[in-house]
Amino acid sequence: MTRASRVPAERSKGFFEALAPGGRRMLFGLAAIGVCLIFAFPVFWLVLTALRPGYAVYYVHRGTDFTLDNFLEVIVQEAVLKGMFNSFMISTLATVISLGVTVTSGYMLSRFKGPIPNTWFSLIYVFRCVPYVSWVLPLYFVTQSLGIFDTYWGLLLPHVAVHICFFSWIMKGFFDGIDPSMEYAAMIDGCSRWGAFWRVAMPAAIPGLTALAILCWLYTWNEFLFALILTSHQTQILTVVMAQFVHELGMDWHLMSATGVLALGPALIVTIFGQKYVIRGLKV
Amino acid sequence: MTARRRILGLDEKQRFMIALIAPAVLALIAFQIVPILAGANASFRDWSLHDPQKTWVGLKNYLHVLGDHDFLTIVLPNTFGFMFASVGLSLVAGLMMAMLLNRRFAGRWLVQTVILLPLMVAPVIAAIMVRWMFNDQFGVVNAILGLFGIEPLAWLTQRWTAFFAILLTDVWLWTPWFTLLLLAGLQSLPPEPFEAAQIDAASPWRTFRYITLPMLRPVMVVCIVIRSIDAFRTFDIVWTISGGGPARATEVFSIYAYVEAFQFLNFGRGSAAAIIGAIIIVVFAMLLYRILNRWVEVSK
Repeated sequence: MTRASRVPAERSKGFFEALAPGGRRMLFGLAAIGVCLIFAFPVFWLVLTALRPGYAVYYVHRGTDFTLDNFLEVIVQEAVLKGMFNSFMISTLATVISLGVTVTSGYMLSRFKGPIPNTWFSLIYVFRCVPYVSWVLPLYFVTQSLGIFDTYWGLLLPHVAVHICFFSWIMKGFFDGIDPSMEYAAMIDGCSRWGAFWRVAMPAAIPGLTALAILCWLYTWNEFLFALILTSHQTQILTVVMAQFVHELGMDWHLMSATGVLALGPALIVTIFGQKYVIRGLKV
Repeated sequence: MTARRRILGLDEKQRFMIALIAPAVLALIAFQIVPILAGANASFRDWSLHDPQKTWVGLKNYLHVLGDHDFLTIVLPNTFGFMFASVGLSLVAGLMMAMLLNRRFAGRWLVQTVILLPLMVAPVIAAIMVRWMFNDQFGVVNAILGLFGIEPLAWLTQRWTAFFAILLTDVWLWTPWFTLLLLAGLQSLPPEPFEAAQIDAASPWRTFRYITLPMLRPVMVVCIVIRSIDAFRTFDIVWTISGGGPARATEVFSIYAYVEAFQFLNFGRGSAAAIIGAIIIVVFAMLLYRILNRWVEVSK
């Protein structure tokens, strides 16, 4: 339990040495450790449950039997492997398509005034508010009648639609923070409107786009409701596979947790390498 | 420039604008507006899933939902209570985390990664984990309470304790989101006012209260509006942790609509409930935006 809290102290001696002089420093360090404990505890518990053998799982807090068998048992199952692959493909494709579609929309909202942008902004503001339950159910019938139910497109396109409103809004913020005078200069020098957008505004928006791409990838990787309703056997993603574990095998907490840890892995990698870009990119 | 060529009554600039938003508009229409209209159509019909008559019944479904005692006295207060509590608590917690991470200290990178952990956990995993931790026989929460001599509680089978567990999960899940946006906001503030405050020997609290907070307000407004809307329509964690139970005591409005449609198999009534919820939140979001917007401008 204390692993997460001890590491910062071990990582650098300066931390503990610095604590000695002032009580405030001490308090600050304790607060940081406490915060880490609170935030890490559920994840720590997930990992711990995943490491317990099946017979000991109901008393996670007692006994010291640990095993990696749960992971082996889970990873050989075809549904889990396929779910991981599907999750990865759908998250990546949904990120690329959502950003591609909304970057132009956000640019338009930021650079133009008049009835068209105003209407579009009100539309996305209103549709952003509509609860998922009121469209995910009919969406099932829509994807079926389009013949894309249980294909990648049948899950991808609804996901793109989920992101349109929010991302257009955020992208508008990114472009608002970029001075348009460079684009005007480019257009005076003979650049077309598309050229000004693509060659001048886009490169300046890359940090913001990176941040949004990371958040979008994480969101899609973790999404459950749409995936549950809009997929069947072909395109099941990992969160849905995992929820079924609890169902079919009657609460196999250790196997469920092992799958949960596997699902956490890629997200952890993305976050560890991406957090710098996210914070830099969200700075508008 | 010479006279602009007009196609379909649109000049070159307007065509550029429409081309920019066309893909987004098409996706929005096909995968959001059409399904919403389909749902709205069902809400005016007698559309039970086991025997769909699809006959027009006017406002009958709406009147039924609005006259439902459970909807008015349990579902709506739960939904709004959950929204205010969740947004308020995670805003305060997120602001504290952001202030913490805005300082330089050894091990900051690690603390930051740990604080961002909930962002990486799928809400459904978190919810299953919370159910496990709050399990009345085998859960770790009761085990820890037992160390302090507190009797085990049946957390998820009583209204308020179940509600507390759900709220705690939601705050845990969304605090990092507030932290990220507020931290980005903090780091983009100009340094001059803080230097001035330091020269004037202002206390940290006064610096925070009179400089940081007012300058952060625009970011906070956007966060509050976006998160309130999301908290209003929360589904997955409530569904996984309590399923709206015990009985229907922790049902929020998304669960109500889902249960009406898929457990009572009345798609028309479920759609009507969803539309009522949508209208409430759209009106609420507009009011919120107005109020917060004015608040920001006044403070400038």
